Amino acid sequence: MEILEKLKILADSAKYDASCSSSGSNRKNTKNGIGNANNSGICHTWGADGRCISLLKILFTNSCMYDCKYCINRSSNTVPRATFTPREVADLTINFYKRNYIEGLFLSSAVIKSPDYTMEKLLQTVNILRNEYNFNGYIHCKTIPGCSPELIDKLGLLVDRLSINIELPSNNSLKLLAPQKEKNGILKPMEYVSKNIMQNSQIKSKHKKLFVPAGQTTQLIIGATPETDLKILKLSEGLYTKLKLKRVYYSAYISINNDKNLPTLKAPPLLRENRLYQADWLLRFYGFTSDQLLDVSHPNFNTLLDPKCDWAIRHLDKFPVEINKADYYTLLRVPGIGVISAKRIILARRNFSLKFENLKKLGVVLKRAQYFITCQGKYYDKIYKFTPNFIERNLLYDERKTLIEQKFEQLSIFDNLLPAKEDKVKCLTGNL
Amino acid sequence: MSNWKLVNKVFLYDGTFEGFLSLVFYCFTLKTLPQKIYPIEKYYTNFLETTIAIETDYNKSKRVFDGIYNNISFDTLYNSFYAFLSDQKDKELNILKYLCDGFELGPKINSMLTVPYVFSVLSMKKRACSECHKLKGLVRFMEISNNIYYSSIHPDNNIIEPLGQHFIKRIPNQNFIIHDKNRNLCFLYNCSINQNNHSPYQNNGAVYQNNAVAYRNNDTSYQNNGPAYQIIDGSNFKLPKLSDKEKYYKLLWKVFFETIAIKERKNPRCQMQFMPKKYWDDLIEM
Repeated sequence: MEILEKLKILADSAKYDASCSSSGSNRKNTKNGIGNANNSGICHTWGADGRCISLLKILFTNSCMYDCKYCINRSSNTVPRATFTPREVADLTINFYKRNYIEGLFLSSAVIKSPDYTMEKLLQTVNILRNEYNFNGYIHCKTIPGCSPELIDKLGLLVDRLSINIELPSNNSLKLLAPQKEKNGILKPMEYVSKNIMQNSQIKSKHKKLFVPAGQTTQLIIGATPETDLKILKLSEGLYTKLKLKRVYYSAYISINNDKNLPTLKAPPLLRENRLYQADWLLRFYGFTSDQLLDVSHPNFNTLLDPKCDWAIRHLDKFPVEINKADYYTLLRVPGIGVISAKRIILARRNFSLKFENLKKLGVVLKRAQYFITCQGKYYDKIYKFTPNFIERNLLYDERKTLIEQKFEQLSIFDNLLPAKEDKVKCLTGNL
Repeated sequence: MSNWKLVNKVFLYDGTFEGFLSLVFYCFTLKTLPQKIYPIEKYYTNFLETTIAIETDYNKSKRVFDGIYNNISFDTLYNSFYAFLSDQKDKELNILKYLCDGFELGPKINSMLTVPYVFSVLSMKKRACSECHKLKGLVRFMEISNNIYYSSIHPDNNIIEPLGQHFIKRIPNQNFIIHDKNRNLCFLYNCSINQNNHSPYQNNGAVYQNNAVAYRNNDTSYQNNGPAYQIIDGSNFKLPKLSDKEKYYKLLWKVFFETIAIKERKNPRCQMQFMPKKYWDDLIEM
């Protein structure tokens, strides 16, 4: 089969993997080598779905021995099958890299023959790249569930990032939709890798070999199974705190296969996915915990308001926040103030006491923040009532107004409320 | 800056960063702030304005350069350099005021975000830096003859130099040309010179990372052997015909690009937000 055709088939099979980031590694170029990694990651292009493409994301093969219900490559599907050779993948990567099309390679694979056999093939590919072509760009590789630890050790020393996809957020769902996989087959290698990363990070030698410097990630499918947002968020929180994962990706379920155990969705639940990403950010950078954002009486996210606004309206006793006095983490809890704005405020108020017009000059967006802050003890002009209803109505009205202006529709009280414009356009998957 | 004299004059310089630093030196010795600052080639003579053309003096510019680094901070140097690369019209005057205050107040200047010219310098720097970062991904090379790679770009800011340096670190064994079509500048990199003379690209301490000025001022080996890269006028550049191999890789990339997107999630506005149309001309896939 020609490379072009293989590329088409195997890129098509790989596209449902959300992760495409190239961040977290600082690998330097070597003498006579090609490539380096950039700590912040570099996006090379954006696909028609708005997701960034920074790595050559392909499967090594899509002929799979498993028959997971949700997967396009399951053995009972009749899709065209192809398998690369290690040399073909390495050549393709190098030639794309030389032309700056990509930042590196993301090599995943269906399980062919056995987990160990598949893993050896991946290892061969990465080995050609690193040791024969002296490639120092980014390599993200999948760990195949159920492979032997020796192979993980070898692979870990060559790649920047490893990942295993959990895909289904609970044991029951796994049994239902991927009966040949086991929960332990997935979690064990993850624990193994995270233990090794920890051990490696404690070695202080300058000449140590890096083990998976960009850490591990995983992916969860959203909407294929009945788990609530709370359950999913709890799972991610556990993965972040216990296994020190770098990222958990959420992938809105797209109906590709027909099966009695699978829901038939008209469109992928993109808004829910976006809410989960927003909450995920709140967990990792804003000091929130899953219990604060959701609880048993209220297990799913508000579709109209983002998780932070929603939290703030339910906790108005913590507001308003005085911009000139609040500490960093309190500032971060204000809707509309993110990491950049909070840092700028802290930096700027060292020299002057800040007013609302100063905030605007700093580039702090007041659209949402205005309802929750005071500057020098004063509310923003527009705010005359500090009650949950007033704030919620205003927040929603602002969103709706912009939406309706765009569509040139008549305002009516009976319209269904729509989520914010940003939520529709935004697509956080894999950019950072 | 309080005791400085505001003179009703226009200062002209040669358009380079060194020229600008000489201008800063001139302003400092006389304690004057001009009305406007222009690069010579962009200024149209106007009978209402008196002009002073300031000569570029490398010794003076080096003194200012070192002075900023030693007396204010590396961040200030970095900010002024990148702000200078931006395409904002009044960038020079803002940077000048920023530096004046910087020499008075020290590193504190970088936190005074409410001062208009400080904020404007920082936002200019942000514009230039983020465009440079974006283009690190969006540059597409093509092999035009054996081991010579060519790429054209249309950036808003004059970021060809830091951009080129990024690729020198990344692909040191490829000769490459980056052509800024908006300014008609070509960044030429010759890997055979780099191999004989390694020093310019091992960073001179962390300090001068990404800063071309360092090479001109501090690195003696650079002055002896000539640079591994140069920036020249590119208006006469003609693109040779592409080989079949090159066309094949372009095709492979296009096919990959089209297959990797999920149809059910189509979102062209999101795509355009990240990758504005102004860059599409130079991309193979769009």
